[in-house]
Amino acid sequence: MGLETALWRAVAVYRWVAFGYAAVLIAANAHKYEHPLGGWAVMAVMAAWSGCTTFAYADPSRRRRPLLAADMAVTTGCLLSTAWVESVWGLTHGMPTLPASWVAAAVLAWAVAGGRRAGVAAAAILAAGNITINVLAGVPPVRGLGSGTFNGIMLLFMAGLVVGHVVKLARDAEARLARAVELEAATRERERLARRIHDSVLQVLAMVQRRGGELGGEAAELGRLAGEQEVALRALIGAGTPAPAGGAEAPADLRALLARHGSTSVTVSAPATPVTLPGHAAREIEAAVAAALDNVRRHCGPDARAWVLLEDDGAGGVTVSVRDDGPGMPPERLARAEAAGRLGVAQSIRGRVRDLGGTVTIVSAPGEGTEIEMVVPAGPVA
Amino acid sequence: MSEETGFTPLKVMVVDDHPMWRDSVARDLAEAGHQVVATAGDGRTAVRVAAAARPQVAVVDLQLPDISGVEVTRHLAAADPPVRVLVLSASGEQQDVLEAVKAGATGYLLKSAARAEFLDAVARAGAGDAVFTPGLAGLVLGEYRRLAAAPSRADDDAPRLTDRETEVLRLVAKGLTYKEIAKRLVLSHRTVQNHVQNTLGKLQLHNRVELVRYAIEKGLDQE
Repeated sequence: MGLETALWRAVAVYRWVAFGYAAVLIAANAHKYEHPLGGWAVMAVMAAWSGCTTFAYADPSRRRRPLLAADMAVTTGCLLSTAWVESVWGLTHGMPTLPASWVAAAVLAWAVAGGRRAGVAAAAILAAGNITINVLAGVPPVRGLGSGTFNGIMLLFMAGLVVGHVVKLARDAEARLARAVELEAATRERERLARRIHDSVLQVLAMVQRRGGELGGEAAELGRLAGEQEVALRALIGAGTPAPAGGAEAPADLRALLARHGSTSVTVSAPATPVTLPGHAAREIEAAVAAALDNVRRHCGPDARAWVLLEDDGAGGVTVSVRDDGPGMPPERLARAEAAGRLGVAQSIRGRVRDLGGTVTIVSAPGEGTEIEMVVPAGPVA
Repeated sequence: MSEETGFTPLKVMVVDDHPMWRDSVARDLAEAGHQVVATAGDGRTAVRVAAAARPQVAVVDLQLPDISGVEVTRHLAAADPPVRVLVLSASGEQQDVLEAVKAGATGYLLKSAARAEFLDAVARAGAGDAVFTPGLAGLVLGEYRRLAAAPSRADDDAPRLTDRETEVLRLVAKGLTYKEIAKRLVLSHRTVQNHVQNTLGKLQLHNRVELVRYAIEKGLDQE
């Protein structure tokens, strides 16, 4: 409620400043009035009412129609008293009304309380009051409505309109801010809950996997399925959200891309901090890793285990290794196969990495599995 | 992986907020002949109970309802005599795992690890040996690279790996067992174990130095 309080305080401040101005005018002109004592009396009423409203509007529960109506009644009364206090000469020569700009305080109060429409309505009432002064005093309206009075009326309308509008805008902005803050708190809470739920689900999946494996038989199959889901969920959480679909060159965290390939048989190891590469390079490296893992499954069977290691050289370059524990092959066979162009998958890996300016090393020995190491240096500054 | 020579019963504490896991882990440990001296469902209880129960090994989950597993690890590792902390985590939140290890954890294992693997890890932790998974090796390698790349205020005291240590750690991260690494690098099993241990020790020492430096700076600022 910081905004409301500030607005009402501003109205109160305006009321007192305007009262000060009106008081000076009355003091300066009192000797020319038809009823000088009346002038002083009106000044006392204005002072008393300024005090009353300062306290009354400070309490949110009192900022309602009765108080606003009373405010308007007192203000209009002070305005109309001009007809009785002021001399005919003053009325016909464009002298200010007794309350002068003090009447605008009521317009501001209405505008703050009820917006644009209430502000304009208040201005209309006071405009009518201005004209009525001349009628009451028996002065022809056309002669009495000097340009000063006319300007005053216009300003009242402007004040009602503009303040009412701005107050509505400010109030909307405040409401939007409150909603945004609420939403953010809700999102945070939801994330916290999600983390806890994820953790619980992971615990149960891990438990099913562990016990299932010990029991054997069908339970082992259930355990294996639970294990796969556990790894998938962990990869999802551990890697954070993948970069939003930006342009093709939007930087991507290679960890998140590689984590998707983790499974019960594939272990993905990476630094704790993001490994950010240009989107294209990251996707190409991921494709190369996917091809390598595909190769492992094809040549070493579905039970072969594989390890993917992602290393960051700290200068934009990365090293990605894919190792399996399959039967491996003698180095000369590897060389022969490659020379004969029979290493289809290896070719596609080499091609992708070479396009990124990197190198691929394939090491294998019988009984020691196969290891593919891709070294990709920092790319040209994109 | 561990030597078959004799079984050493250990006093173990289990810290996990899931009763299901706490009981299951405690049962596995008891069946294997260890003595479960305490269990705790939250971090503060764990720290308080450990002072009285004096476990040799604490199996700690990172996700606890009050203070984090990292905080618990820091307290237990600083106890006298220090409690060997084996982090057993389900979510594998990488930054947390790394923080726990830097705070003094002796090892890290995923909850989905098989029972034999878990018991072996407890035995090794009890002997003071670092328990590494390929995932942890990847994290530690990354951390050393980060420290080397970061413009530190005093870069000469940032820990660095020797070439041999890097080599060993990379092989661990690629899933080789210590035995396979020993064979490939023509080293003894013990030497491989020592290299791995050193990589962790340097990181933990650096972390303690940083903490002390931070505390001193804070203290000086306040006065």
